[in-house]
Amino acid sequence: MPYSELIKNFERIRDYIRDFYVYGFKTREEYDTKSARSYDNERRRIESWLGDYMFFRQVAEGRNVFLSMDSRSVSLNPLYSAFLSKSFTALDITLHFIILDALSGDKQLSVRELTECIEADYLSAFDNPPVMDESTLRKKLKEYESLGLLKSAKRGKELIYGRTDSEAESIDLKSWRDALAFYSEIDPLGVVGSYLLNKLESIPDYYSFKHHYILHALESEILYALLLAMGEHRDVELSMFRPHRNKASQTVLPLKIHVSAQGGRRYLMAFSRRFKKIELFRLDFIRSVKPLEPEPEYEKYAERAERFLKNLWGASAGTRRLTGNAEHIEMTVRVDDGEEHIPMRLEREKRCGRVEIIDKHTYKFVADVYDASEMLPWLRTFIGRIISLSCGNPRVTEVFYADIAAMNEMYGGDKVALQ
Amino acid sequence: MLFNEIYGKYFSVVADVLKEAVNGTLSGPKIADIVREKAFAESVLNIPAALKSGEWPLLLPDMTTKIQNAPTMPLTTLQKRWMKALLSDPRVKLFSPSVEGLEDVEPLYTQDSFTYFDRYADGDPYDDPAYIEHFHTILTALRENRKLSVKSEGLRKTVHKWICIPHRMEYSEKDDKFRLIAMAKHIRLTVNIARVSKCSLADPWTPDERQALNRRDDTLVLELIDERNALERTMLHFSHLEKETERMEDNRYRVTLRYQRDDETELLIRVLSFGPLIRVISPERFIEKIRERLNKQMSCGL
Repeated sequence: MPYSELIKNFERIRDYIRDFYVYGFKTREEYDTKSARSYDNERRRIESWLGDYMFFRQVAEGRNVFLSMDSRSVSLNPLYSAFLSKSFTALDITLHFIILDALSGDKQLSVRELTECIEADYLSAFDNPPVMDESTLRKKLKEYESLGLLKSAKRGKELIYGRTDSEAESIDLKSWRDALAFYSEIDPLGVVGSYLLNKLESIPDYYSFKHHYILHALESEILYALLLAMGEHRDVELSMFRPHRNKASQTVLPLKIHVSAQGGRRYLMAFSRRFKKIELFRLDFIRSVKPLEPEPEYEKYAERAERFLKNLWGASAGTRRLTGNAEHIEMTVRVDDGEEHIPMRLEREKRCGRVEIIDKHTYKFVADVYDASEMLPWLRTFIGRIISLSCGNPRVTEVFYADIAAMNEMYGGDKVALQ
Repeated sequence: MLFNEIYGKYFSVVADVLKEAVNGTLSGPKIADIVREKAFAESVLNIPAALKSGEWPLLLPDMTTKIQNAPTMPLTTLQKRWMKALLSDPRVKLFSPSVEGLEDVEPLYTQDSFTYFDRYADGDPYDDPAYIEHFHTILTALRENRKLSVKSEGLRKTVHKWICIPHRMEYSEKDDKFRLIAMAKHIRLTVNIARVSKCSLADPWTPDERQALNRRDDTLVLELIDERNALERTMLHFSHLEKETERMEDNRYRVTLRYQRDDETELLIRVLSFGPLIRVISPERFIEKIRERLNKQMSCGL
């Protein structure tokens, strides 16, 4: 196949963009699961779409390709460009413009009428027009009806087609200009907003976004399939890039999308049919989603997910099924004069925990969570103020103290390298 | 289907070309100009040739077309369902979009489809009429190139007043807050919209008055050993910053991050959250701050 900057499906390119953007230190030879030619083609495509953000570094082992940008300085996610690269046939593009033109002005035509119109009014002027019969056209009209571009109605025995943007159904997209610019970045399916922005004459450029994980765009197709399944209360079969509990695929009932605004990770919270419990799956580890049958008692599972959230700190359920209990944790912090922001921090960051005021200078954070070890990163952010720490899981305090000791050694002035 | 050619660059660029043809203003060089300006870097090798050769029989050799109307495309069901879903977001009031035409549309998702488990709980008051009014005023100033008169209250009840030129409206997903980024004379301002107590439009600004936002950037160099999944966590965690990663040895990496000096305390906290899994190599000022925290921790008698 000759090289094309357009692609048929998104799966492979998704993997490359992620590697270039998140890691960016691999050489060509390290993309060992794919052929060298495949690597060259994918790199060339990504450069064609995202050239402004692509950089190269020569190292002893070869050349590293990486994507780098401060997402705060871009008002439109550059990775959306990749979604504008779907391949098509000559007939697809030809019929697209001709059908929408032939049906403009609230015109409604049957397949037969439209076939005649296309041949007589649009294609007869060309020497070698593409072969198009009624069945090809019927298939395209059905496809466009399912996309929502066309609607059909009965006229006698015939089905007639018209556009869906008649005056009565019009939407004032201009009034959405600012909302689209904002939500195309913030909404988990913002790529849809970027499609809408492309319809506008100009796009507001005065929005910027801090703590903005633009990489999430790459999972849009997966997320869309999951949201459809959630809306229809359907089971799905997940196929994973990385096996989950040694299984490359799993049947689950999707219940929620669980998002970290701080760490860049997003999860599907779902009821696992195999393990008969709620589990979390990284969205970026899901290769594909296949819809299955609807679950009539979906609400029962949705309520279970809500209850599950009550003791979930992050995304780990830990060993609660072995111990039967959540792990109790308490951290007391010292607050000096002028440090009013510390109690504020505790309040806004406490999640499922609670804050107790011991006195003006002492605050206690208390929580019962499934897996206290996933609180360690957050606990460390209070280094310098922690006057006591206790946890039902002694491993958590052991790791915390060991980490403090290791950091003291690391920054304490001796020459010991990172161990 | 989300990934579909109807949304693609080729279809939108061909629509622009046909628009010119319908208007009778198309020429060969113009096709190339449109493609170069609006399509991908290598599209110029494909689109003009396919149109001119009749492979896509939409343009005649004399640069006219049988298409009668400038091409437009109705909104798809996906687009409408997505817009409808936004209408239940608490922030949508800030933008006042028209709901007309979406009455009978099924939303693509509901707000309870998502949980943002580590988003800060003290987000902006999106239902507060005063907040909404200030937001609208600031948006108007940004749209119409007007100056703003802003009065806001600091954390310790200090009142600040400025006449400023607004540059950006910044939103933080972690904080769930909007901030106005502006210049007042030579000073760069970052004002939390929720702290604005009064806000009104002032005169339009002239290009001479509008200074570029001065940004003080710094570079943080880290080293990490890929233990406890540190590499993946670090790379993803800091993926929104400009960064470069080098492999030093098999499982040892050096990461260089560019950050705004104003965000140094926040970055310090984020670095601390990784504990000994990452080590700061430079700047020395940053290392000294970590040492201070560690020394202070020693004094806590834990």
